[in-house]
Amino acid sequence: MRPLRPRSALALLGLLWLAVALGAPLLGSQPIGLSDVLRGDPTALAIFWQLRLPRVLLALLAGGALATAGLGFQTLFRNPLAEPYTLGVAGGAALGAVLALRVSEGLGALGLPLVALASFAGALGATALVAGVAMHRKESETGTLLLAGIGVSLSTSALILFVQYLADATQTFRMVRWMMGGLSVVGYREVLWLLPWTLLGLAALLAARWDLNLLLAGEEIAASRGVDVPRLRLRILIATSLMIGALVAVAGPIGFVGLMVPHALRRLVGHDHLILAPACLLGGGAFLALADLAARTVMAPADLPVGVLTALLGGPFFLLLLAVRRGRG
Amino acid sequence: MNDPPVPPVLSARGLVREERGRAKTGWTLGPLDLEVAAGECLALVGPNGAGKTTLLRCLAGLRTPSRGVVAHRGRNFAELSRRELARRIAYVPQVRPANVPLTVREAVELGRYPHLSPFQLAPSAADHRAVDHALAAAGIEAFAERPLDELSGGERQMAWIAAALAQEAEVLILDEPTTHLDPRHQRDVAGLLHRLHRENGATVLLATHDLDLAGLLGDRVLALRSGRIVSLGPPREVLAADSLAALFDAPFRAEPEGRAARLSLAP
Repeated sequence: MRPLRPRSALALLGLLWLAVALGAPLLGSQPIGLSDVLRGDPTALAIFWQLRLPRVLLALLAGGALATAGLGFQTLFRNPLAEPYTLGVAGGAALGAVLALRVSEGLGALGLPLVALASFAGALGATALVAGVAMHRKESETGTLLLAGIGVSLSTSALILFVQYLADATQTFRMVRWMMGGLSVVGYREVLWLLPWTLLGLAALLAARWDLNLLLAGEEIAASRGVDVPRLRLRILIATSLMIGALVAVAGPIGFVGLMVPHALRRLVGHDHLILAPACLLGGGAFLALADLAARTVMAPADLPVGVLTALLGGPFFLLLLAVRRGRG
Repeated sequence: MNDPPVPPVLSARGLVREERGRAKTGWTLGPLDLEVAAGECLALVGPNGAGKTTLLRCLAGLRTPSRGVVAHRGRNFAELSRRELARRIAYVPQVRPANVPLTVREAVELGRYPHLSPFQLAPSAADHRAVDHALAAAGIEAFAERPLDELSGGERQMAWIAAALAQEAEVLILDEPTTHLDPRHQRDVAGLLHRLHRENGATVLLATHDLDLAGLLGDRVLALRSGRIVSLGPPREVLAADSLAALFDAPFRAEPEGRAARLSLAP
């Protein structure tokens, strides 16, 4: 009974993922019918294949990457509030990307690689900083970690504001819009770009599934069972930071998906990372694609950045987790 | 019993571990030499802060010595990976983590980690046998499927010892295994260790403040103070009233033969 349940839940998530991948492109400010697409109606085809499918696919990947990274951070630091956004990793990537946007004006085709490289550097830098500060002070890593994350987030926000102040009005508008975290201007290029990094992150978590499961019992137990904890940390942090860097480069910082999705899925599929990591990839993707669907329909024809929506949901969720956790002692 | 005929399972030569405390200037364990024979039970006693935990961590390979060599059957720890070490030595830390979202069986299964391949999707038949065996040895099959967090402190300790047993390592090291347990669970833990050591011939190292436990289980007792070995020998010598009084800076009175001396409460 027990081993069957998480697996069937994972299969259901897979079905949900497929349903969203096929269904979400049909919906929007102007709904199109599946029959129109199948019949080959040129307008429907163009909307489906060129406008909506790449955006839905990117949402599926981005949400999956965010949730998977959140899971990695939460297990690694044994902290339910850890995720790329709260730890400042997304902020670091955003700072890198904004700097690149500032200087990349007129670089054309070089734009994405430059922004991406800068995001990677920002994400890795922020992770190293937060992890370094948290590990330097041994006692109560939990609190120190979040405080370090807040420190990095505040610093990157301030630096981003500074860069924006220096930029001209058009650039500033682009940056502000991008900082909200959105999936609006997207083609297949971004999807293909994000795919390998997301799979890399998932593979890193799956390969370390026993290690991560053991880490649930604390570092000392894990180490005494044979886990090389510092090396495991390094591996997972690099893989997840690359995943977040790649994501922020194309979609901006999208908050709280990495917080909410792993928590919800733990209740559904349990704590084994063999099941939980792919569940996060599927569930996070479906969640963000649905959130993006809501973001582009609730105020149609206006196109709300999905990052605004996830932040609106995520803030209260964060407070709720904090309250529940404190309540338990 | 004082002269082990077999080569030492664990040995430390010139072991020094410098710990840099945050507030204090730091302190040093050692230099000390130690040999533990196969099938021996060595009990560590000493005041708080004597370095018992640090010594056990060094002997489990969880801390790297600042100087000196720790070896398992002649193999220097420095040449062994964490995984290889875990196949040789199992360690039960003093602090038992809370909020662990695992059942007892899952926790014990994770004791198989050093024997598992990362590409293995599920534990093998041999792993399951080892897990069942460990659960039975600890006598905790009855609550094997319960979540750890629902158990009492004593039951949880038995679960973590079972997880260490599932590791099937030659040496079992325990840091204050009976601290914070009620008398019945202290007895359960002591009984389990006694059986493992006397009947299965396991090599056991434990640190404890329970001097009777040290005398009951230990073939030899090691008294540690300020990072140095004060005395190392049979229980009746190390746990005698005068040596304990010197070790703990407190008055002890002698007890009948075969019992550890007792703290004297009268002034």
